[in-house]
Amino acid sequence: MKKIDNVAGQDLRDMFSAATTWLEKSSADIDALNVFPVPDGDTGTNMMLTMRSTMEEAYRAPDHSASGVARAMAKGALMGARGNSGVILSQMWRGLAEGLEGKESFTAVDLAEALQKSAVVAYKGVSNPVEGTMLTVMKDAANEAKKQVKQGNDDIVVVLEATVNAAGESVARTPRLLKVLKDAGVVDAGGQGVYTLLEGALRYLKGETELMRLRKPQMIVSELPLTAPLLQTAGVDEVPFGYCTEFLLKGEELDPEIIRKRLEKKGESLIVVGDESAIRIHIHTLDPGHIIQLASKLGTLHQVSIRNMDEQHQDFLEMQKERMPTTDTSVIAVASGDGLKDVFGSLGAAAVVPGGQTMNPSTKDILQAVENAVSDNVIILPNNKNIILTAEQVQSLTQKKIKVVPTKTIPQGVVALLAFDYEADFKTNAEIMEKALSSVKTIEVTRSVRATKINGLLIKRRQPIGLLDDELVAAGDTELDVINQVLAKLDLENAEVITIYYGDDTEAADAEEVSDSIKEQYPQLQIEIIKGNQPHYCYIISVE
Amino acid sequence: MTVKIVTDTLSDITGDLAAKLDLTLVPLYVRFGEEIYRDRIDITSEDFYRRLVNEPKLPSTTQPTPNDFAAVYRKLAEETDEILVVVVSSKLSGTYQSATQAKDYIKGKCRIEIVDSGQVAMAEGLIVIAAAQAVKDGATLAKVADMARKAVSRSHLVAYFDTLKYLAKGGRIGKAQGLLGSMLSVKPILTIKDGEMAPLTRVRSLSSGLDYLYNVVASASKIEGLAVEHTTTTGDADKLVERIGKIFPKEKIYRSVISPVIGTYSGPVALALTVLEAEK
Repeated sequence: MKKIDNVAGQDLRDMFSAATTWLEKSSADIDALNVFPVPDGDTGTNMMLTMRSTMEEAYRAPDHSASGVARAMAKGALMGARGNSGVILSQMWRGLAEGLEGKESFTAVDLAEALQKSAVVAYKGVSNPVEGTMLTVMKDAANEAKKQVKQGNDDIVVVLEATVNAAGESVARTPRLLKVLKDAGVVDAGGQGVYTLLEGALRYLKGETELMRLRKPQMIVSELPLTAPLLQTAGVDEVPFGYCTEFLLKGEELDPEIIRKRLEKKGESLIVVGDESAIRIHIHTLDPGHIIQLASKLGTLHQVSIRNMDEQHQDFLEMQKERMPTTDTSVIAVASGDGLKDVFGSLGAAAVVPGGQTMNPSTKDILQAVENAVSDNVIILPNNKNIILTAEQVQSLTQKKIKVVPTKTIPQGVVALLAFDYEADFKTNAEIMEKALSSVKTIEVTRSVRATKINGLLIKRRQPIGLLDDELVAAGDTELDVINQVLAKLDLENAEVITIYYGDDTEAADAEEVSDSIKEQYPQLQIEIIKGNQPHYCYIISVE
Repeated sequence: MTVKIVTDTLSDITGDLAAKLDLTLVPLYVRFGEEIYRDRIDITSEDFYRRLVNEPKLPSTTQPTPNDFAAVYRKLAEETDEILVVVVSSKLSGTYQSATQAKDYIKGKCRIEIVDSGQVAMAEGLIVIAAAQAVKDGATLAKVADMARKAVSRSHLVAYFDTLKYLAKGGRIGKAQGLLGSMLSVKPILTIKDGEMAPLTRVRSLSSGLDYLYNVVASASKIEGLAVEHTTTTGDADKLVERIGKIFPKEKIYRSVISPVIGTYSGPVALALTVLEAEK
C-alpha cells in the first residue's frame, strides 16, 4: 500500500463523497438498529440525507483548500441536518472544519487534531450528552487517532485504519454503556453510521472504489448477551414519544446558548447548534406548536419538520418483526434467582415468572405473563412439579392457546427451551420440547430442614442432601460429598455436558471446587459453571 | 447446441465433479489483509481453515466482478448459444447482481438465463447437479431454467455451527441473531429461509448436532439428492454419511468440503447437510 502523508481539499471532498455512497448502502440496516433516543427507525436515513446536503455544499464551494471544503461541508450539514443524529453529525463537521481552519491540505497530525475537535464540538452541541451513542464512538475514534500520531505514525492510511478499527470496537461496546441498546440486543445506530462514514473514507483513500461498488458496509454486532428477548422490548413501551420537531432558524445576532436555555425544559433530546445567523433546532416534545411559536419571534423559520414519533415507532416495530425469526409461539418459564432468570431470557424465553421451590407463583402471575406475551400461542415451562398444576389452570382463563411442558426442574426447563424449533408449529414444538426432557438428569443439593428418615436414609437437621430428578437419594457431610454420591448413581458414559448453577448463598470458589472435582473424575465431560443465584438450592446440576 | 451451465464456487461443487458434469465454476474471492485469493483456486479449504484459526484478523470475502462472469460467458459463447447460470442466494451475496450485469457485456451473442438459487453450499449445488442431468437428457435452456427455478423450493440446508461468532462478525447473521448471546454454551443449528440465514434450534454438543442432522434425513420422505459437507470436521461428516447410508442405501450421497468463502462465515468447526426433495 502506498503511503499517504498529505490529503488535499479535493481528496477530502471525494473521500467523504465516497463515504456517503457507502453509508447510503446500509442506511436501511442502520434504521433497523435505531432504538435510542426514540425507537423510530430513521437514523440511517437521517444521516444519509444530512450527508447528501453536506456533500452538495462541498462541491459548490469555490475554495478547494482542505479548510474551504471542510467549512462548506459544515455549512451544508447544518443547512440539511435531519433528526437527532443528523444534527450531531453536522456538529462533527463543524468541529472538523475548525480543526482544519486555514489549511490547504492536512497531514496525519492535522487529521488527529481535527477529529479531536470534531468530538469536542459534537459533545458541546448536545444539552445532555449520553454515552454509548455516536458521541462516544467519535470520541474513541479521535482518541485512537491521537494515540497513533503520538507514536509517530505519519501515514494517513495507517492512522485512519486504526481509527476506524477503534470506532468499530467502540460501536460493539455501545450496549455496555446504554441499557436500551443492551435490552434490544443492538448496537447504537448513530455510532454505526459514524463508523460506516469513517470506514468509507478509509476505503476510498486505500483505492478500494471498485470493491465499494460491489460490497455493502459491515454491520457491527453487539458483543453482549441478549438478556431480554427482542420481541418483548420492542413491544412494551407505552409512554408517548411525542413529536420530533426540527427546523432552521435564520436571523441576526442569534445566540445558541440563550435559545438552548429557553427550550431546555420543553422536551427531550434537545440540540441547538449553529452561529449568529443560522441555528438548527431539534427537540422531541409533546407540544411542537409552543416551540415553533417561541422560535418564530427570534427570526424566520425554514425546513420546518414535525413528525409524530409514535407513528414512526409503530412502523419501526413492524420493521423489527421482519427481522425476527418467524415463529408464532412464545415460551414462558418459571424460575427464581437473577442468574436463572437471565439464562432463560438469553435462550429466548419471552418472560420469566418468579417462583420455584417453596415459592409457587399464583395462576394469576402466570396468566399475566401469558397475556403480555406477543404471541397467541404460549408454551409454559413450570420447572417445578408443584407448579405444573397451577400452570395448567391458566388455559381456562385465557383466549390464548396454552401448552404446558411438564418440566419438574430447572435443567429440564433449559433443555426444553433449547430444543425449541423456530420452524416448527405450536403443537409440534410442545412435543419436541417434552421429548427433550429425557435427555437430562437433574441433581439438586440443599440442606435438610429437619431430622428425618426417607428412602432408607437417616438425615440430620441442616445436613446436605441430594436429589436426583426430584427423588431424595443421598445425604452426606459436605455438599461435594453429596454431589459425588449422586453422580456415582448415574451412567455418565453417554453424558457430554454438565452445567452447575450455584445458589445465592454459595461462593463462586466452592462451585469451582465442585467443578474441578467432577473434571478430575470424569475428564471427558464439558463443564460449565453459572451463577444461578437461586434460593434454597445451593447447587442445581444438569447432566446432559 | 447443448446448454452450458455456470455456477459459483459457493455451490461447493469440487473441480472433479464440475469437470464430469461439464460445469464452469466462477470463483468468489477471499481476502486476508492485502492478500486476495480466488475461492478454491488460489487457496485450498485445508489451508484456509488453518489460517482462519491462526491469523489474528478475520478474512473478508468479495463476490465475482461482472467482468469475471463476462469472460466466462464470452468463452462459452464460442461453443454454445445457451447458458444457464445458477448462483448463490442474492440475499447472501451480490454474485447474482454481477452475473446479471455481465449479460450486458456480451449482448446478443448468446441467450443467458440466471437463476437465484436462494441457497448456498450443496443446497445450491444439488440444484446445479439436477440441472446438469437435465441438460444431459437433452433439455433446452427454457426447460432446464424452469426446472432449476422449481427445484429452489425443494432444496434445503441444515447446518451445525460450533459458534455464531464468524457469521455475526461477517454481517450475515440474518434472523439467526435471536440465537446470539446465550449464557450457556450452545451450538446453533441453522438453515436458509427465504434466501437468508435463519435459526432452527440449538444443541449442546457436536454429537447432538450430528444426531439432529441425521434425524432431518431420517424423517424426510422422498429424496432426490443428498450431500454432507465438512470444514475441519472430516471424520464427523464421514460418520454421518455412514449412518445416513444405512437408511438410504440406494441414494448417492455427495461429499464435499465447505468452500473458504462460506467458511469465513461458518468458522472452522461446522457441518452442512443438504437435501433435495423429490418432486411430489
